[in-house]
This record gives sequence, C-alpha cells and structure tokens, in this order.
Amino acid sequence: MTLLDLVGIGLVLALGAALVGLTLSEVRWPTTLRRIAAFDALDAAIERAVEAGDRVHFSLGTGSLIGSDCAPALAGATALAKIAEATTMSDRPVVASAGDGALAVVAQDALRGAYARTGAKEHYRATTGRMLGPTPFSYVAALPVILSSEKVSVHVLAGSFGMEGALAAEMGERQRALVLAGTDDVQTQALFSATAEHSLVGEEVFSTGAYLQGSSMQRASLRLQDILRLVLTAVILLGTLLRTLGILA
Amino acid sequence: MRSISHYLWTGLAVLFGVLVLAGYVIDLPALHAIRGMLMQWAVVLAAAALLLGLVNMLSVHWNKVGAQEKGWPYSAILLLALLTTFILGLVFGPDSGLLLALFNDIQQPVEASLVALLAVTLTVAGFRVVARRRNLSGLVFAVSALIVLLGTGPWLIGGNSGTFLTFGELRAWWSQVWAAGGARGLLLGVALGATMTGLRILLASDRPYGD
Repeated sequence: MTLLDLVGIGLVLALGAALVGLTLSEVRWPTTLRRIAAFDALDAAIERAVEAGDRVHFSLGTGSLIGSDCAPALAGATALAKIAEATTMSDRPVVASAGDGALAVVAQDALRGAYARTGAKEHYRATTGRMLGPTPFSYVAALPVILSSEKVSVHVLAGSFGMEGALAAEMGERQRALVLAGTDDVQTQALFSATAEHSLVGEEVFSTGAYLQGSSMQRASLRLQDILRLVLTAVILLGTLLRTLGILA
Repeated sequence: MRSISHYLWTGLAVLFGVLVLAGYVIDLPALHAIRGMLMQWAVVLAAAALLLGLVNMLSVHWNKVGAQEKGWPYSAILLLALLTTFILGLVFGPDSGLLLALFNDIQQPVEASLVALLAVTLTVAGFRVVARRRNLSGLVFAVSALIVLLGTGPWLIGGNSGTFLTFGELRAWWSQVWAAGGARGLLLGVALGATMTGLRILLASDRPYGD
C-alpha cells in the first residue's frame, strides 16, 4: 500500500467522520440555510399546484445511472421523493421522467417509497416514473407531450443535462409552468440561467433535498461543504501567494 | 417499523458502494477484481433496465391510444415505429444496413434539427432574460452576450478593422479571465456537492434506491 493509498483512505474516513460528527451536532447547533429564491418559489408553486389540481413534473435528466454524471440525478431522486411526499394530498401525483431506463426505475422506486411512507400507496403507478427517450434529444422531443397532456404547472429539472437542457427548460416556459432547473455541467447551467425562470447555480442542485425539509445529515453536509470550500480557497490563495513570491516552483 | 428487507437492501447498497470506492483508493488486485465485477454487473443491470424502460414507454403510449387521450395519434406512430425497429433489429441485427439507414436518415436528421432549434430558442430566451430581469445580473448577461457576439463575428462590413480586432481581444479577456475564473469556482462547488452526495449515499442517509 502506497502513501497515496493511505492518504485516499484517510481522506474518505475523515470526511465520513466529519459528516457524522456535524450531523450529531445538528441537535444542538442546527444549520441555518440561506434563502434561495428558487426554492421559495418552488415551495409556493407546489402548494398552488396541489390546490389547483395541477401536476408537478420532475426530470432526472438525460444522463445514465452508471455514468460519472449520475450524482445530480441521485440528488434529484431524493428531492423527487420529498416532492412526492408534499403532494400526496393532490389528485394528480407527481410524474417523473428520465432519459435512461435505470434512472426511470430509480424514479419509480423513489415515488413508491414516498407514497408508502405517507400511507398513500394507492397513488403509485409504475407509469408515473417514465423513460421518455433513450437519447438526449429524443427525450426532449417527448417532453412537450407529457407537459401538456398531464396538466403540468411545476417543471423541475434536476439531473445531468447537456445543451438539450435549454430546450427542456424552454418547453416548461412555453407551458407557462414554474421552471426550476439545476445540473452539474457549468455550460448547461449558463443555458439554464437564460431559459429557466429559476436556475440553480454551482452545487445548489445537490442541496435540493436539504432545502425540501431534508434530513439532518443533508443539512450537515451543506455545512461540511462550506468548510471544505473555505479550506480549499485558503489553499489556492496560499499557493498563488507562494508562487508569486517565488517560494513554490 | 421498517421491514428486514429494508435493512438488507440498504446494507447491500452500502457494502457494494464501499467495495467500489475501496477499489479506487486501495491498490489491491483483489479489490480491483471485485470492483471490476461489480461494475460489469451494473452495466448488465443497466441494459436490462433499458428494456424495462422501453416496456414502460410502451405501456404509457398503449394506454394513451386505448383511452384516445389528447395527442393519441402521436403515441400510435411511436408504438408503430418502436415495434417496427425492434422487430427489424431482431431479424436483421442491430448493425444491418437497413437499421443503420433508418438511424442515419431519420433519427439523426431529426435530432440535428432540434440542435438547430437551440439557436433560435437561446436568442428568444436571451431577449426574455433582458426583459424579465431588469437588475444587475440581467445587465451583465446582456453586456456579456453582446461582447461575445461582436468579438466572435463575422461582421458584414469592417471585418478587418481595428474595432473588430479590439472586440476580439475584449471577448478573449472577458471569457478567459472573468468567465473561466467564475466557471472554476462553480466547478469547485460542483465537485464538493457531488462528493457530499456520494458520502450521504454511502452512509445510507440518502437512499435513492427507495425503501
């Protein structure tokens, strides 16, 4: 085992321990989440959709579950479950879609679990978690149909998207739905900021679950994320300074 | 009260996650072999899930045609196309000239036309942003778009003028210093967010695989 292996193991264990520690400290020192306008708007729009009998559409993106781009979709699946719980009272339960068969199964599982927890198993239908198309643009081509036929008034995009994400967000705008869009790809985030009414910037897509009445570990992970960001920023600044002074080669 | 199966599936998910992660950070041949095997299983399962997704798609559109819901003719066309290509693929094989022609002459042009549509969509969205966000971010967006457009060209007249070259340099400075710096900051946040999501899944706090 090399020194690099040990550093890797140590880092993973240290991060795990820090996360558990911060989660335990949530009881005494709860994390205060800064207000993000997009999540405030989402909360209000979900309430309106439940009252009006409209539907929420949740997209897990056009990425794949086994690819390196699965992280935002996994974070999205947790948020999907929270939204499904929040809309249990509605006559029209959430409909979820993905561009990958495995992600569609994940969406179905998230919906089934959410309805089981809220005692509304009868709301679950396998067809509420759908694969719309196996390629990014075939997925987007199928979106207008689902948005108009399902009477969607809240259109959430939280997953991996490429440039087709701009069309996906624009279709929600044309439906006059509230569009909230977030992804991990920085270029697509730029497209979302132009096409979506509410776009999530940077890592905000990963914090969706925490903002939707998430668990204490989800809130603690945001705090740990901020601590790590400060440490990394300090290291970058120090490196820049040392290099400028000629101390670091 | 949670069932035993809940703990079993959660335990298995965490165990497999830890084994795959360990295969990346610990240089042991046995762990590499386990990681490779688990990844192969995942690929096979994803392929099976694609079939499940297709069955799901079939059932959604079949119900739509049956109930004659709004837009049912489109669903009928989709079912016809799906079944035709599926049967042709089974009979002639996925690499046959017929299937490749269907893909190259129908699927690819349709997807390319959607990419072309993106340019129009973004132009309309750009105007909407300026109209909707009458604040600093809207102004920065509009100015940035203008600088990049003018600096990238081509101009109808004065393509070699000093003004064009100045705009080119301004665009390069704007995108390589300000935009690239901002993007790196965002990427740092995305990497941290993805790491935290992975940790929460490994610690069974987030269970995207359900209960």
